[in-house]
Amino acid sequence: MRWIWIDKFVEFESGRRAVSVKNVSLAEEHLHDHFPGYPVMPECLLIEAMAQTAGILVGQARNFQEKVVLAKISKAVFLDCVLPGDSLRIEARMETISPEAAGTTGRITRSEQLIAEIDLMFSHVDQNLAGKKFPKDNFVFTGLFTSLLQEIALNHTRPEPQPTESGA
Amino acid sequence: MAMSRDVIFKKVQEVLVDALGADEEEVTANATLMGDLGAESIDFLDIVFRLEKAFGMKVPREELFPVESLLNNTDLVSSGKLTEQGLAELRAKVPHTDLHEFEKNPDINKLADLFTVNAIVNYVDSHLNPA
Amino acid sequence: MKFVLIDRIVSLEEGKTLTAVKCVSLAEEYLGDHFPTFPVLPGVLLLQGLVESASWLVRMTEGFAHSMILLEEARNVKYKSFLAPGSRIEYTVQARVIEENVSSFSGCGVADGEKIVEGRFGLRHFNLSDRRPALAATDAQVTQAMKNRYSLLWQQA
Repeated sequence: MRWIWIDKFVEFESGRRAVSVKNVSLAEEHLHDHFPGYPVMPECLLIEAMAQTAGILVGQARNFQEKVVLAKISKAVFLDCVLPGDSLRIEARMETISPEAAGTTGRITRSEQLIAEIDLMFSHVDQNLAGKKFPKDNFVFTGLFTSLLQEIALNHTRPEPQPTESGA
Repeated sequence: MAMSRDVIFKKVQEVLVDALGADEEEVTANATLMGDLGAESIDFLDIVFRLEKAFGMKVPREELFPVESLLNNTDLVSSGKLTEQGLAELRAKVPHTDLHEFEKNPDINKLADLFTVNAIVNYVDSHLNPA
Repeated sequence: MKFVLIDRIVSLEEGKTLTAVKCVSLAEEYLGDHFPTFPVLPGVLLLQGLVESASWLVRMTEGFAHSMILLEEARNVKYKSFLAPGSRIEYTVQARVIEENVSSFSGCGVADGEKIVEGRFGLRHFNLSDRRPALAATDAQVTQAMKNRYSLLWQQA
C-alpha cells in the first residue's frame, strides 16, 4: 500500500478551498483485506483523502514553508459505503489559519450524493511540538505529493491575500 | 438584539460538543475545559473559530484564553509549574484576578481550572450585551 | 495481509473493553511515502487501529452476527506525538454502548508510556443481506474470513 489518497486536483482557490478527485479501484490491494469477499474503502482512508486535500490547501497558503500535519479529526461522519468503481469528489474549505495551526471543513460526494463530512485541524509542527524529534527540512511536501503540487503551481495563481488570522 | 444568557449558554454548549466531541450533559457551566473536557492547545483554535461562526463576532484567542499562551512557553513553565517570569506574565495578563493562593503553588494544572464553560459564556455575554 | 492495522489482541472483556497491540515496522510499504525522510505511522491508521480493536470487541460480543462493521462517526480524535518504526503501540477501547446495529467507544493508544492518540468514535454493524438477500453467501464468506483472522490475532494459550 502506497500512501497517496487523491489522484488530482480539479479546483484550487488559494487560501480558500480545494477540490480533488479519488478513483476507487479493485486494483488497490488493501481493498481485498477490507473485507475479504466484499471490498469497501476503509473510512479512515476517506479521512486521509480529505487530510491530503485540505493539508495541501493549508500548506499552499503559507507557500509550503510550514510542516503541516494532521493534529485532530474534529468530526468525521460517514453516510454510505464507498466501493470499487466509485469516483469521489473531495472538497475542503479553509475555515481558520493562524501561525501555529489551521482548521478546515469538508465534504466528500459521489455524483452529488453526500458520502462524508470531515472537519480537521492541522498543526504547523515547528510552532508546536517543542521537544519532539522531527527533521529540520520540510518532510511533508515531498515524494508523491510533488506531482500534485506541480500541477497546482502550473494551473493556479499565486496565493491571494490571506484570510483573516485568528489568535496572536 | 440582546441575546439571553440561556441562549448564549446553549450555543456555547453546542460549540464545545462539536469541538471537543463531548456529550451535551458533560458540558456544564462549571466544567473546566482542560480538566473536565480534555481540551488542549489545538482545541482552542477550533473553539475560537466555532464561537466566531456561532456568534458572528471576532474572538481574539488571546482575549478568550489569556493565560493559555503561557503554558506552551518553556521559559515560563518548568516541571509543571510557572516560573517567576511566568508568574510575572500572568499577573500582567489577569490584573483583576486574585492570585495569592495560586502563587503559593503555581501548578499549571490549577491554572487550567480558570478556564470553565462559564468563563466563555461570560466573555460572549459581555461582548454581545455590553453593560 | 495488506490492511490489518493491529497485530495482536492481548485482552478482551466482552461488551466492555479490548486491548490490542501494533508493532510499527520499516518493512511496511506506506511508511516510505509517509514520509520519505521521516517515516511515521499515518494518523488515520492510528484511528484504524482503534476502529479495528473496537470491531473485534463488537464481533466477539455479538458472536460474529454481522459481516460489516464500519466506522460511522469519529469525534475529537487527537494526535499527541509521532509513532516511528520500531515502536509498539497498545490500543485500549472502552465500549460506551453496544447495540444491535450501532456502538460507540472511547479509545486511546499508548507507546512507551506516552499517549499517541485518543478519541471517540461510533461504528455501525449490518449484514449485506439485510438489504440484498442475494448477498447472504457473501456475508457468510466475509464472516468466515473474519473468524479466521481473529484466530490469527488472538493466540493466547
